[in-house]
Amino acid sequence: MRRCDEVRELIPWYVEGNLEGDEARDVAAHVATCAACVRDVAEMVRLRADVRDAIRGIEGLSEKVWGRVRERTGGRRLAQLDVGSFVLGFRLGASMVRGWVPVRGDLQVLGRNIKLFERRKGGSR
Amino acid sequence: MAAWNDESAGAEEREDRRLLERVSRGDEAALRGLYDRFGERILRYVYTLLHNRHLAEEVVQETMVAAWNGAGRFGGRSKVSTWLFGIARHRAMDLLRREIRGERVPDVVLTIPDPAPAVERREHVLSALSGLPDDQREVVFLTFYEGLSYKEIAATLEIPEGTVKSRMYHAKRKLAEALT
Repeated sequence: MRRCDEVRELIPWYVEGNLEGDEARDVAAHVATCAACVRDVAEMVRLRADVRDAIRGIEGLSEKVWGRVRERTGGRRLAQLDVGSFVLGFRLGASMVRGWVPVRGDLQVLGRNIKLFERRKGGSR
Repeated sequence: MAAWNDESAGAEEREDRRLLERVSRGDEAALRGLYDRFGERILRYVYTLLHNRHLAEEVVQETMVAAWNGAGRFGGRSKVSTWLFGIARHRAMDLLRREIRGERVPDVVLTIPDPAPAVERREHVLSALSGLPDDQREVVFLTFYEGLSYKEIAATLEIPEGTVKSRMYHAKRKLAEALT
């Protein structure tokens, strides 16, 4: 049988239904016979509901975020050439966006993209 | 790439993997699907870390672009959500470091649009969450909002499982004090 302190540190995941196997069985068996841990479970259920409700109330994403993602991903990838390594490399890519083909070259430094050039509809930038 | 069609994964996870596989082939509609499934979850996660709407939105954007560029490297060893939240967390930490160097972006507090009486309680809870250290708040979010197990949280944050339990233990004590 697990001790109260061992059970209590698992109760947040017990109320989430996120314990498996022996842990789930042990916690359920302990809680069934321990009034103090039952109170802890009840408090945790309330806390969980409060936290979920509060976070759900946070205002969601505006559509402009997708617009910025869309600008940077540039449609269906047709071809991509990678040269170099994770530390320093060069990527040349061509995409298909509604009937036209933007081409973009990026310098890659430590996995981060730094745009060198981009040929888009209406000229380069 | 063998894990794209892992039959042991749940229906949600299989759908996430199908979308990511299409993203790896350059399918922008699939990227939009991934954005619809994860964008707001990532926003809320990052907001609990950064308390800044501009930065949180920037991290969502960076995470989606990283998914577009790196979908082909998803190894299938974790859930798609764990992979995306890991990317988001790294981006958020990068932004925090930039902020510490003085490149601060003006803060805009996310508002709560719902005019119902429950707003007051929500604000009280958010305020209590804000009072937690960042590492504890993150564990509370991943446990109660994302529904991750402590093992999944340990994998996402790259910390020992005991540390996850300890952070949650301290967080729940502080939240209980703040909310009674």
